[in-house]
Amino acid sequence: MVDSSKVPVSGAGQPGPDTGKAERVWRAGGLDPMPIRKLPDAPPAIHILGPTVFLVALGVGMGESYMWPRLVLVFGPEIRWLFLIGVTLQAVVMLEMARYAMATGESIFTGAARVFKPLMWFFFAVAILVYVWPGHLSAGAAAFEEITGIPWVLTACIALVLVGVVFTLAKVIYNLLENLLSVLIGVLVVGTAIVASLVGSWGDLSSTLTGMFAFGYFPSEAMSSTWFPIVVGAIAFAGPSGMQQMWYTLHLRDSGAGMGAHVPKIRGLRHAAEQEEMPARGFMFDTEDPEEMKKWKGWRRWVTFDALLLFWGITMLVTVSFTVLAQAAARENPNVASLIEGGDRDAALGAMSDAFASVGGSVLGGVFFGFIALIGLNATLGLFDSFSRGQADMTYFFVPGAKRFKISHIYAFFLWAVIIFGILILNFGPADGPSGVLDILAFLSTFAMGAYCVVLLLVNNKMLPKPIRPKWWANLIIGFGAVFYLGMLFYSLLRFGVVVS
Amino acid sequence: MDTTRLLRLGELALPGLAVGLIAGAVAGGLAGIVGQPVGWALVSMLALGVPLAILGGGYGLLVAYRKVRIGAFAPVALFWLVGFPLARLTHEVLTYLVLAGEPRLPPDVLGFLAYQGIISAGFAIGFLWLHERIAPRWWQRMAPRNPVAADVYSAYAAYAKQVYEQREARRRSRGRATTQQR
Repeated sequence: MVDSSKVPVSGAGQPGPDTGKAERVWRAGGLDPMPIRKLPDAPPAIHILGPTVFLVALGVGMGESYMWPRLVLVFGPEIRWLFLIGVTLQAVVMLEMARYAMATGESIFTGAARVFKPLMWFFFAVAILVYVWPGHLSAGAAAFEEITGIPWVLTACIALVLVGVVFTLAKVIYNLLENLLSVLIGVLVVGTAIVASLVGSWGDLSSTLTGMFAFGYFPSEAMSSTWFPIVVGAIAFAGPSGMQQMWYTLHLRDSGAGMGAHVPKIRGLRHAAEQEEMPARGFMFDTEDPEEMKKWKGWRRWVTFDALLLFWGITMLVTVSFTVLAQAAARENPNVASLIEGGDRDAALGAMSDAFASVGGSVLGGVFFGFIALIGLNATLGLFDSFSRGQADMTYFFVPGAKRFKISHIYAFFLWAVIIFGILILNFGPADGPSGVLDILAFLSTFAMGAYCVVLLLVNNKMLPKPIRPKWWANLIIGFGAVFYLGMLFYSLLRFGVVVS
Repeated sequence: MDTTRLLRLGELALPGLAVGLIAGAVAGGLAGIVGQPVGWALVSMLALGVPLAILGGGYGLLVAYRKVRIGAFAPVALFWLVGFPLARLTHEVLTYLVLAGEPRLPPDVLGFLAYQGIISAGFAIGFLWLHERIAPRWWQRMAPRNPVAADVYSAYAAYAKQVYEQREARRRSRGRATTQQR
């Protein structure tokens, strides 16, 4: 490992062939130095649409719509303070992930490899272990079955193939996905807001909101071997879980944010011939130039807006809405909490559907399942793209000989591999119902999250020039994140001997 | 106001109007469909959809006449903080009117309005999100015959041009970098 903390912003590198002058570079860790390039201007206005749409699509998932409402039904709204901690932590993680990606145009995986290559291979392996299972899809498809009666396995298989075809035909995958997810999330947000406004009440909302500030509340039942791993998983599911934040750095790069502008976008397989060659490493800007630092501050403002309003705001909104619905559901069906405690995992979704139906009848109950299906579709689109993008990135840059292929080809390979595996598992594998798979994912995700907090600390404090390193308080929060995720995981293991609920 | 001017205003307001109407119709309308006569379902749908559509269209006009900054969140949040509770109140009153034959306010009006006010922030995000997707493309189509649409579209286009020029500049610098590496 090379400590770059004392290296000047730009150092002497290889002479440029045209100019004869030494090209200015930034040396960071064990990989190729990054040439100094101009940082593009930040977007002129704070604009609403950005790569955060991916994080929102991934983050607003089963955690918000199912796991947290479920915990609220069992333990009361006061348990939501843990959600507040979880999502706020994730917003800071998002800002710190963006710091490295925007400063270098590299993914956090490459950053990890700069620190210590096995770190990156660890995430490569975790991604395969955690994300090849089609759990996220099965939940959405099961909701679709509630509406239409079409068997969920059939819907899930068709959806898998459709996702593959869409991403294969897309010219520039990022553009297609951003447009698609934007509309889906827009409809989801507007629809959720209206339904919550119809179903919920001031009392539900105020108890949900005040519950978020009941810091320290932890009922004794939550400390049982049954519930503690679920609570841990639900905190990990608060906002983007597992490796989703790491993949966000790839979306930032493809959106051209910061130095990502110097790196080409990934194209669909059908347009792979047009794929530009990927540079072997990222780029750095001159952090000693006040003009460049001014632009950097502009980019930081842009991403902070994204983190606070879009990511934190929408995640909070959806989960508050769904929690309000859950409370309305508990009123409709007082037995629902005991049903869940008794192990009826679909009771929460069914009861929330009842809450919708209590306002407008069974069709509105169906609309609820429609939203769950929509969330499942968003998560599937986002996850399949992100997984393939992350694995392609690591394979292309770090597997010897992989550069013979275009990155589009490797992306397509991972995409179709995970699709085919998903179809096989859905039909022949241990597909033991939606929430069973989700619980496993939730717990495994926690380890990856603790690990990426450690990686973030190393990468941002060792691999970036001093002027753009994180402030002490950001390091403190990320450090707290590492202790929080890993501590809870190992506490659960040691105290209850339970890894997965 | 002559017909042409009204038509031009309608063109400007249409994207916001559509987002508001769809939002009201999709969620609010379905609430009334089940087990109710078609006529009642339609009334319920319109009772929420129309107020949201009128307000949405109004917001579109504010953007088109550059009274609020394009793409910004704060103005749209403030706008719906007032507008959304009013639309929901109208919806409730009209619903009672149709159901019971006489208008009636919700039991705890202040609590109701406060709750709707908070929910409005979420609606505002979704509204802005969809409006920003639809409106610039629509105004571009209207631009040849509608000067205000042309003006607001040019603001979006200027932004897009700036982004495009940045991208081209980067592409050129990337091209130079590749040449140098060879």
